[in-house]
Amino acid sequence: MIYLDNAATSGVKPLAVRQAVQRALENYSVNPGRSGYHSAIKASEAIYATRVAVAEFFGAARPEHVIFTAGCTQSVNMVLKGVLQPGDHLLISDMEHNAVARPAFWLRDYAGVSVDLFDAAANDMEAELARKIKPNTKLIFCLHASNVTGLVLPIETIARVAHRYGILFGVDAAQSAGVLPISMKKTGIDYLCVAAHKGLLAPMGTGLLIAEGPIKPSLLQGGTGTLSVELAQPNTLPEGLESGTVNLPGIMGLSAGLRFVKQKGSDTLLLHERALCQRLKNGLQSLPGVRVYGGLLDGAPVLSFTEENCPSEETAAFLAKKGIAVRAGLHCAPLAHRKIGTADTGTVRLSPGCFTTLPQINTVVSVMQARRTTHRSK
Amino acid sequence: MKQTVFATGTITHAIKGRDILRRHGFKANMERMKYGMKDYGCGYGIVATGNPAVIERLLREQDVKILKIIPLG
Repeated sequence: MIYLDNAATSGVKPLAVRQAVQRALENYSVNPGRSGYHSAIKASEAIYATRVAVAEFFGAARPEHVIFTAGCTQSVNMVLKGVLQPGDHLLISDMEHNAVARPAFWLRDYAGVSVDLFDAAANDMEAELARKIKPNTKLIFCLHASNVTGLVLPIETIARVAHRYGILFGVDAAQSAGVLPISMKKTGIDYLCVAAHKGLLAPMGTGLLIAEGPIKPSLLQGGTGTLSVELAQPNTLPEGLESGTVNLPGIMGLSAGLRFVKQKGSDTLLLHERALCQRLKNGLQSLPGVRVYGGLLDGAPVLSFTEENCPSEETAAFLAKKGIAVRAGLHCAPLAHRKIGTADTGTVRLSPGCFTTLPQINTVVSVMQARRTTHRSK
Repeated sequence: MKQTVFATGTITHAIKGRDILRRHGFKANMERMKYGMKDYGCGYGIVATGNPAVIERLLREQDVKILKIIPLG
């Protein structure tokens, strides 16, 4: 199989990740942070070491700000519901994934939070935000890179404007963490949400929230192994936001994935994946009846395309029969598809990963060339 | 030398505090809290040897949460 669905999850996990998960299951099938026996303490030490590594990688101030979650969607929900109160105003971009859009509009419908969209592709982002910010704007939250086109938002500019107005700033880094460079400190990100099973090559069911700003444990309450005499949920990070038993095998896999990315060099991986995207873009956009979206030189390694008079799911089904795994449809991002004009048809999304090879990409281009030639001759 | 328990509650802060103290040359270990169950419930603490005031300052400077300081012996 040629796997081009890395924007959904990294299809190939490095050997080191698989071994780390196995080792965790064999040696650390214990509940960390709850007991004092040897293996429980060892497990807790391994988790803490991962927090330290994550904090360093993303330029976070303190390891205790690193919270392990089940995925980026959970992390985003924790931020939006742990920061916003009735009467607050939230700004999100018009390219958001439903991971952001749905909790945002849930807060609008059920929790008295007002929501507005800003133009993710604005030429003058400062002016765009200045037009949309209100006196009660509490939080600006947006994706770093689009899961449909790979468009990268200018998060440094957005952070600067947000902080100028005393507004908190959160980033959905589902498509960028481990792929594009991110420094919370340098950029001024208050909340970073990460899908660790994508760019950090961890197992599914692993995510991160790095919270530098204030946050309440509004999404989940329960056992934390701390202050257990209190019936009120503790506010102390990270345990206050990690109720229940943490996913230790997943976290050990995340730790190994992070090491893998650091050893290979995220810059090197990005160059490789961008080069593959350019090859795809050049190969596809020359085909009659094919339109390409994204594949930008400075974007995340994701691009979409449509075939004239052909539903995206039909194209994906054809590619699946050829052993090529892609994702079609709206990619849980209806806002993005409305913006690029593909809400009626969806697109076929291609997202290479660090294990994708140039010969594989050439095969995909050849398959599509042959298909379009056949279409034309009919 | 004086031994003191710095109850942190959370294991994350206990490990973090222990590592900070060791980096500064203090003898420090992390363990389950044996005292204060009535006040705080379960949790962890740092058993450190040295001047408690100096240790407390070091820990607080690095944002290590301290629930209670319990002198030993």
